[in-house]
Amino acid sequence: MDSVEIRTPKHLLTTLKRSLGSPAPRGSTHIPPLGTPRLPPAAPGSPTKHALPLPPASALRQRRLRTPSPEPVRPPLVSLSHTARKAAAASPSKRQRNQASQRTEEGLPRDLPDHLHPLLERQKRAILKALQQPPEIDEIEVYGEDYPPTNTNAYEQLSDLLMGSVVRGEGNSCLLIGPSGSGKTQMVERAITALPTTPIVVRLSGYAQHNDRLAIREIAWQLAQQTGTSFLPAESDEEDEEDAADPPATVEQEASGETLEEEGDDDENPFVDHAPAAPSSLVEPVITLPPPSHLLALISMIPTLPRPTVIVLDGFDLFASHARQALLYCLLDTAQSCRTGTGAGSGMAVVGVTARVDTINILEKRVKSRFSGRMIRTACPTKLDHWITLAKAALGAPCTGENAEDVEEWAEIWNKAVPQFMEDERVVEALRDVYALTRDFQIFRRIMTCLTLELTDISPYPTLKMLKAAISRQRCPARYPPLNTLPYPAICLLIAQVHAQTSGHDVFTFEMLHDAFKNQVRTSQAAPVQIQGGGVGMAFERLVDLRIFLPAASPATSVAKEFALHRCAVDRFAVKKAVEQMGQLNLRKWLTKS
Amino acid sequence: MSDIAPGLQTALADSPHYEFVSNHLSLLLSSYPPPFIFIHDPETVRLTASLVQSTLHGLASKSPTSGESQIKYACVNAVACFSPRILYDTALNALAGWTPDWRDGATNWHGSGAEARRYNENFDAFVHGIQTIAAGADNAGENAQTNGAGKGKGKAKEQGAPPNRRLVLVVERAERLKDNLPELVVPLTRLGELSQVDITTLFLSEVQWQDIRLPLRASPEPYYIDVPFLIKQDTQELLASAYPSPPAESSTSAVDVDAYHPALKPLYTHFIATLCSTCSPFTHDPIELAYIAAARWPGFIQPVLDAHRGLLKEEEIASSAEDGDADGKHEPHELQPPTEDTRLRLIRLFTPSFTAALESLYPRLSNAMDWARVHAPPVDLLLMPPGHAPEALAAQVVTNAASLNTQHGPTEAGIEALPRMAKFVLVAAFLASTNPARSDLRMFGRGLDERSKRRKRKVGTPRKPKPGTTGTAVKIPQRLLGPTTFPLDRLIAILGVLLEENDADTRPAAPQYTVSGEYTEMEIARVALHANIVELASMRLLVRTSPPDSLDRVPMFKCGIGYELAIKLAKSLGIILNDLVYEVV
Ligand SMILES: Nc1ncnc2c1ncn2[C@@H]1O[C@H](COP(=O)(O)OP(=O)(O)OP(=O)(O)O)[C@@H](O)[C@H]1O
Ligand SMILES: [Mg+2]
Repeated sequence: MDSVEIRTPKHLLTTLKRSLGSPAPRGSTHIPPLGTPRLPPAAPGSPTKHALPLPPASALRQRRLRTPSPEPVRPPLVSLSHTARKAAAASPSKRQRNQASQRTEEGLPRDLPDHLHPLLERQKRAILKALQQPPEIDEIEVYGEDYPPTNTNAYEQLSDLLMGSVVRGEGNSCLLIGPSGSGKTQMVERAITALPTTPIVVRLSGYAQHNDRLAIREIAWQLAQQTGTSFLPAESDEEDEEDAADPPATVEQEASGETLEEEGDDDENPFVDHAPAAPSSLVEPVITLPPPSHLLALISMIPTLPRPTVIVLDGFDLFASHARQALLYCLLDTAQSCRTGTGAGSGMAVVGVTARVDTINILEKRVKSRFSGRMIRTACPTKLDHWITLAKAALGAPCTGENAEDVEEWAEIWNKAVPQFMEDERVVEALRDVYALTRDFQIFRRIMTCLTLELTDISPYPTLKMLKAAISRQRCPARYPPLNTLPYPAICLLIAQVHAQTSGHDVFTFEMLHDAFKNQVRTSQAAPVQIQGGGVGMAFERLVDLRIFLPAASPATSVAKEFALHRCAVDRFAVKKAVEQMGQLNLRKWLTKS
Repeated sequence: MSDIAPGLQTALADSPHYEFVSNHLSLLLSSYPPPFIFIHDPETVRLTASLVQSTLHGLASKSPTSGESQIKYACVNAVACFSPRILYDTALNALAGWTPDWRDGATNWHGSGAEARRYNENFDAFVHGIQTIAAGADNAGENAQTNGAGKGKGKAKEQGAPPNRRLVLVVERAERLKDNLPELVVPLTRLGELSQVDITTLFLSEVQWQDIRLPLRASPEPYYIDVPFLIKQDTQELLASAYPSPPAESSTSAVDVDAYHPALKPLYTHFIATLCSTCSPFTHDPIELAYIAAARWPGFIQPVLDAHRGLLKEEEIASSAEDGDADGKHEPHELQPPTEDTRLRLIRLFTPSFTAALESLYPRLSNAMDWARVHAPPVDLLLMPPGHAPEALAAQVVTNAASLNTQHGPTEAGIEALPRMAKFVLVAAFLASTNPARSDLRMFGRGLDERSKRRKRKVGTPRKPKPGTTGTAVKIPQRLLGPTTFPLDRLIAILGVLLEENDADTRPAAPQYTVSGEYTEMEIARVALHANIVELASMRLLVRTSPPDSLDRVPMFKCGIGYELAIKLAKSLGIILNDLVYEVV
């Protein structure tokens, strides 16, 4: 059986199954049926050489009917393989297809049958989803005797701490320290969602709340959001009951409680800090700010809320730069006194998140003494295997579809393609190279995302080439456009700049370069004569826009634009390379002229 | 929404070159987008911006199927949004689908009903606004949109459970954020994390992210999308396929109605090819090239249209001469694409003007409309003998320019009209700004006996070392480094020398001055001179660098004119400037 007739996708399906060894799907290498003429193997990833002959129109129509593809339908490729074309010519009524031309050696159809294209789309979505929410991996296997990895450890510590606050009503504080992108924020969120009861969560960020005033406002707002309308009355009741048990802050607390109650109906006005007239249309009382002196009192009543509270401070080190570290002091003080108290009231946990390792040292002494000193460290994955296992899991994410047969067929193909890709030594090598440079988990995710997006109907399987392209795109995207693509006058300016640098002037003005350029035009007669001031001036501005020329002094109104000092951000070798790539003799001569 | 011609926009949407970007983007945004995406396009960022917008528009107008989210997006331009409040309001208005209405006091979106409040107060308020929109509580905005009244106060009716919302915030020209709103860079890139809603921030810039982000890596790394470089071939195809549709009958545009006749499209393709090959060494930007094309094409095609009209007229005359059965049997002659010969002739005739167009239009020394008017060809260019056509074309440009009176730039004319003393002041200021102060004695010092004689200076300073022979850097002439500041006294002193040497003979006789130089002394002490200087400073031909309100200090100035202008002024006063400049040009 060296050629099979195809009329409909149904036929194609059976054909594929048969040749894939369908009854025993584990078969790792594909043994072509006896007598199959083999075409010279082509590297995976050279997709268009042998394409699927145009399926009969009926098949096309059917496919469209069955699964509307979300992408614009590409016209099927028409470059028929040699044999197929011959066969087609021989019997136009019976289109014949050569089986072997459709597959790589490993048994993957080189060109995806049309009806599987929607499934590729679904697969891509499944992979993207898996990358967003990484699947559980078997860490014990990956880490061996190094188990548990830092993050698992950290997660347990953090969970314990939160449990203490939420379940047992303790006051806790801790600091989560780890490099950027090591999963700190994500870990906190995970730990909070895993808690048995839902606490009040206040999320602050040093990037958004630049000072304590903003932070307090935000705390007040988030508290009001989560405790709802009944918050204020309930609040004051509780306070009465717990008067005796409360730490000395009570007097202030009561005052603040009352202030809050009185002003409870007020709206916030950006121009007046407190107590504006409330618009009567407001139904829902919004918590408003007590006068600044009482702002911090808001914090001390947190333990009296009906539910335990978790306060997450992202960018913890930034809060330490606020005036007198007042907010930190109050938060930590409240948390501590909550712990030393008798356990009445709800628990409270303050979780600081930071990437700065010396954060504890920048705390003032009185603040530090109120901090529990618990520091939990996170880290990026410490084994390459972690990445590889995750990559496998993500790529192999199961995808679903309406048509069970298609799904099965697709899964079979895909489950071959993934190991084939991941077990390639060069793929692992490429990943290792990246891993050696940065263990950042996010770069891995970006690379995999880029790789996934590159999969198309024409080249549906991940290849080494795609991976490399994805890595170079995501790891170190080029800072400047290739210099040889710059307009001609811009290159001239770059050459003039190189000469200025050679003569000892790292800093230059536009006039200097323009003068050199004019001299060159005059002496060599080589540059195109039609350039006048305009083109060169625009080229200079373009280079400034692209940040290839950087201002070397802060701009002053008294300095005309053409005399503003600049320096160049690319070195002479880059210029030299660009000039060589452009291949213009006169430019090269000018550059090498001394 | 964008400043790009509709023709170019549709051409862009079909361009295979950009398919990659729009495919990636739409797949990402409709599935599981990373919280922060960065699109880098050094060459054609405006085209990409419009492409991103149309992609998003397509995604947003799709009604979501189950499991998908409804996309809402906002495009803000970091150039236009130069303050945080403007940025917040622009973004929220767009996300909520709210259009400020004039009759309503042009209020910004402020939520609906009970939730109504200001959302532009600070970043937290902005985040609250985003949360409100994401939760679907912004129906007021939608209502206002649908009933067109823009009232937005009405109670919104819930329309069942709305689908999930995914918000996308696009920031164009993101590099400006770093200069204008550096405190917003980090929060915007962490918007998803801060607001806890499904929102993706998309930065679009011609500068790479490394040059925008703040130090210490406070922002997460973005997902990078690099727009591929547009090669010349692609640019050409893009521009050619952006052939505009003929203007509507009623349009008031200055362009001939037939200029964009469909029959002329093949010629347009050739025109674009020639234009691209002449101009693309200087700029690759398709928008600039399209601008130049728009300025040149009406003139370029005018001869063809003239010829066609001539033909029509002839036919008319012929048919009226035939008379008899002139009952409208004659179909009006359709516009035919010009012959190969005509095409070559046109291209040869007009190619020189392409560079001229580039030179004045690319730096916007002129605008397309004026330029087209000045460079309109003479009538019936094609009927002229081929040898004369280029001259006729050039002559026509001169006449056009004269009739439109755009020959002289305003500065030039203004300088011509300056009083004679002011010209002396400017030349003196140029010298004071260009020569080092220590050279003044050498340049201007005159012995008693040679008061009225000019001392010739040896050309080239003897002390100047040969370039590169010493370890120090080659000296750069001051004229290239920009003017230096000088005190008023020095200006007056130099002015005195100039006046004594070049002006003394032209003055009316004044027998009361006996000592040589006394007359000049008198001249430079006049109040009128000081008034002149102040006026020049207000024109910025002199730049005052010391604060204007200090009485006790000598005022400092800087020259505001360049070398070329100084030479011209000096010549008109009979001064040989190069003899007085310390470093000879
Ligand atoms: N070990 C890991 N396993 C799985 N995912 C991880 C891991 N480390 C980081 N990530 C992923 O990286 C992403 C970024 O993590 P996250 O935002 O929590 O970092 P971060 O430490 O808070 O960074 P920053 O200091 O910049 O705020 C998260 O979405 C998370 O899913
Ligand atoms: Mg974080």
